[in-house]
Amino acid sequence: MQLTDRSAREANSARKNGFIALTITYFLLVAACLGTLVAENEISMGRNPFENLIKTAHDFIRPSFVDVWFGNPRLEYRSDDGRILRVENRQEVETRHIEAMARATWTTIRIATLGSLLAALLALPLAILSAGNLGAPKLLSLVAKGLLDISRSIHTLVFGLIIVGIIGLGPTAGIFAIAFHSMGTYGKLFAESIEALDMGAIDAVRSVGATPEQVFSSAVLPAVLPQFVSSHLYVWEFNIRDSTILGIIGAGGLGQLITEAISLFQWGRLSTVLIIVFLLVTSFDMLSRRIRESLL
Amino acid sequence: MSQQCIFARELQFNIQGKLILDINTLSIKHGERIAIVGHNGAGKSTLIKLFTGFMSCSSGNLNVLDRKMDTFLSSEALRQLRKEIGQVLQGLHLVARLTAIDNILIGSLGRLSGWKSLAGIYPQEEIELARQALHAVGMNLNAETRADKLSGGEKQRVAIARMLMQKPRLILADEPTAALDPGAAADICELLVKSAQDATLITVVHNTALLPVLAQRVIGLKAGRIAFDVPITDVNEQRLQSLYDLDPIGT
Repeated sequence: MQLTDRSAREANSARKNGFIALTITYFLLVAACLGTLVAENEISMGRNPFENLIKTAHDFIRPSFVDVWFGNPRLEYRSDDGRILRVENRQEVETRHIEAMARATWTTIRIATLGSLLAALLALPLAILSAGNLGAPKLLSLVAKGLLDISRSIHTLVFGLIIVGIIGLGPTAGIFAIAFHSMGTYGKLFAESIEALDMGAIDAVRSVGATPEQVFSSAVLPAVLPQFVSSHLYVWEFNIRDSTILGIIGAGGLGQLITEAISLFQWGRLSTVLIIVFLLVTSFDMLSRRIRESLL
Repeated sequence: MSQQCIFARELQFNIQGKLILDINTLSIKHGERIAIVGHNGAGKSTLIKLFTGFMSCSSGNLNVLDRKMDTFLSSEALRQLRKEIGQVLQGLHLVARLTAIDNILIGSLGRLSGWKSLAGIYPQEEIELARQALHAVGMNLNAETRADKLSGGEKQRVAIARMLMQKPRLILADEPTAALDPGAAADICELLVKSAQDATLITVVHNTALLPVLAQRVIGLKAGRIAFDVPITDVNEQRLQSLYDLDPIGT
């Protein structure tokens, strides 16, 4: 007993030392990151950050959509000598822009939805192969794990840029970009739910003489289906957020409006788009959380 | 139908060259109540798995319910066999997300086929049987309670009800009380014996206090061999002591 006590104590103190070493390494890394950036003179807030901040904030405070009701119905653009070049009805212009935003929102939702579904379908066989408890052939399981790791480590935007180069601009590229990156996330989540299966319960159902199909439907499916649905909602929700950025590389949708607004310094419009993104993501998040909770 | 429920001769089972089981002869008649005792790793659970075809023996003869287990059995033949064998396991293995009654109905899957059995739609008479089984194991709770909301003793009762649904000729219980407190353990043992009135009952058990309830005949396994095979009246402290003596450190 004494012997085991001592070895337990030794193991414990070794663990403690390891943790201290890790903590020191972490702070050394932080110091190295900060120190080298300071040495390269890369830590700076620009020339007049406060002025810029106030200017940007001022534009942001008035999102473009309020112009639908309060915009100047007769905004006159004049040349330097006072001639009227163009008259614009701001209310009309912004109404049209809101319509464009609605279409872009719908595009974003479509990219996220189809991309997520494609990702889940691609991931399912790979997850089954890579799950440790189903006994897939070693080589296949390694290949599946490798594919999932690669897919997870490459960002959606990078996939997007590559795919836009291959199939051209448009939502299809966005769908594939989402699908190829999310496949890795789905694969990992699916494999984890499969690995968490109660194999004893499965054996218990097998032991009553059930056919493999009956075992699947009455023991495997009830255990993994809620998990799968929950993972699907989670990644789908994540992709709604992710696909808003895909427009930047030409996949269309809200991201395109973000890029446009930024390049034209239309902070009011950017503000509107961000409000839409916020509402979209939050409402989807609320919906999916409620569904996931009811599945538990 | 022969008199023998289980008959084994020169049965050997090894894993990677290591001999796990080496049984010269073993014969169990229909309707007997048998307890198998022995230290951890003596081969008790392996023996149970050989009986149900979850593992197959390396050499020798094994007959279970008039089927030869040492030849290659088709999966269909194995299912036919398993239909007649009711199992109760130590791990309280129910399908967690299904209700108590649905878990009991799983016991009827062996005799059902077709898409309805896949969709979880059971015939009315099976549902009636499941209700009776639930009643028989003394459960006074809502049949629609989900399995993961049940206590350990309740889970094991549901597992026994599931086994009753099979109307088995042979009941194998592998440490059915291992996960239960002493009170629940005694209840479950009595229930098992009551359930096994028309069947052969073979129980693997660690708690020797339960032996008189469970068995008429006790088989002691030691390092894969039968150390003794005697009526319950001949089981005494000494016999059991010698069985568990393998471990020099003791507990």
